[in-house]
Amino acid sequence: MIGLKSTLNVIDNSGALLVECVNVLKNKVNNGWGGVGDEIVCVVKRARPISPGAQAVSNVLKVRRGDVRRAVIVRCRKPVRRPDGRVVRFDDNAAVLLNNKREMLGTRLGGVVSADLRMKGWGKIVSLAPKVSPSRHHSRNPVRSEPF
Amino acid sequence: KLEIDSFTGYKIYPSKGRLFVRGDSKIFRFGASKNESLFLQRKNPRKIAWTVLYRRMHKKGITEEVAKKRSRKTVKHQRGIVGADLAAISAKRNQSTQVRTQQRLAAISKAKLEKKEKEAKRPKATRPAAPAANLRNVSKQQAKGGRGGR
Repeated sequence: MIGLKSTLNVIDNSGALLVECVNVLKNKVNNGWGGVGDEIVCVVKRARPISPGAQAVSNVLKVRRGDVRRAVIVRCRKPVRRPDGRVVRFDDNAAVLLNNKREMLGTRLGGVVSADLRMKGWGKIVSLAPKVSPSRHHSRNPVRSEPF
Repeated sequence: KLEIDSFTGYKIYPSKGRLFVRGDSKIFRFGASKNESLFLQRKNPRKIAWTVLYRRMHKKGITEEVAKKRSRKTVKHQRGIVGADLAAISAKRNQSTQVRTQQRLAAISKAKLEKKEKEAKRPKATRPAAPAANLRNVSKQQAKGGRGGR
């Protein structure tokens, strides 16, 4: 449940560290909360310092403090129900920066992303993620007997 | 799929409980808010008396499991090798000692005969070599002397 003024960690390598939500883009509703997989407009509150020397390497846009960008929420603290009844909750709120065409700004992700992203249509981000939680495959092993 | 609670060790049936992903991407499953609350209060499950972890550590109610574990002895099977099939091996093994000693004597006498024939054949040329060889053997041992083989 990300709303106005909520801060999110940025987990891609676009250079931003912390963004603050300014608007949740969902069907012309101005109030309301964003969850995993929703796009938000945000302001970059803290960014990694850009040293002038290292800028030659960047095929990646480095964002600066005060930039207004779009982002998609990839983790949130509010528990989310899955269709199989499971409930997943993360420890923090996190987002990945996008440009206006819904493309990622960074090239790599660090950290877990929620599997709900795939359902909402962000397959590209899911495929780049080092880990997707919870993972989709259910092992078909029978349950070992336990004392209880 | 049946999960187990990461705090208590109980079973979690599907659509029950919660899954919590921590900042370091570790996953914790809780079957009830009680477990979740205890976990978040950072209690140690080893100290909470009703958890599986505690019971295992204090060995409660586990005697049945331990009793089962003794019966594992591998049975040895005799197998024939390429050179000697099973029948040949068992035949050799089951020879009585008499038969064996007879075989041995026969072999010894045969060897002695052959040796004599050989020595008779070879003329004096090799004779200086033989005592020289003996000398060499003896001297080697003596050379190794006090230490030899200790």
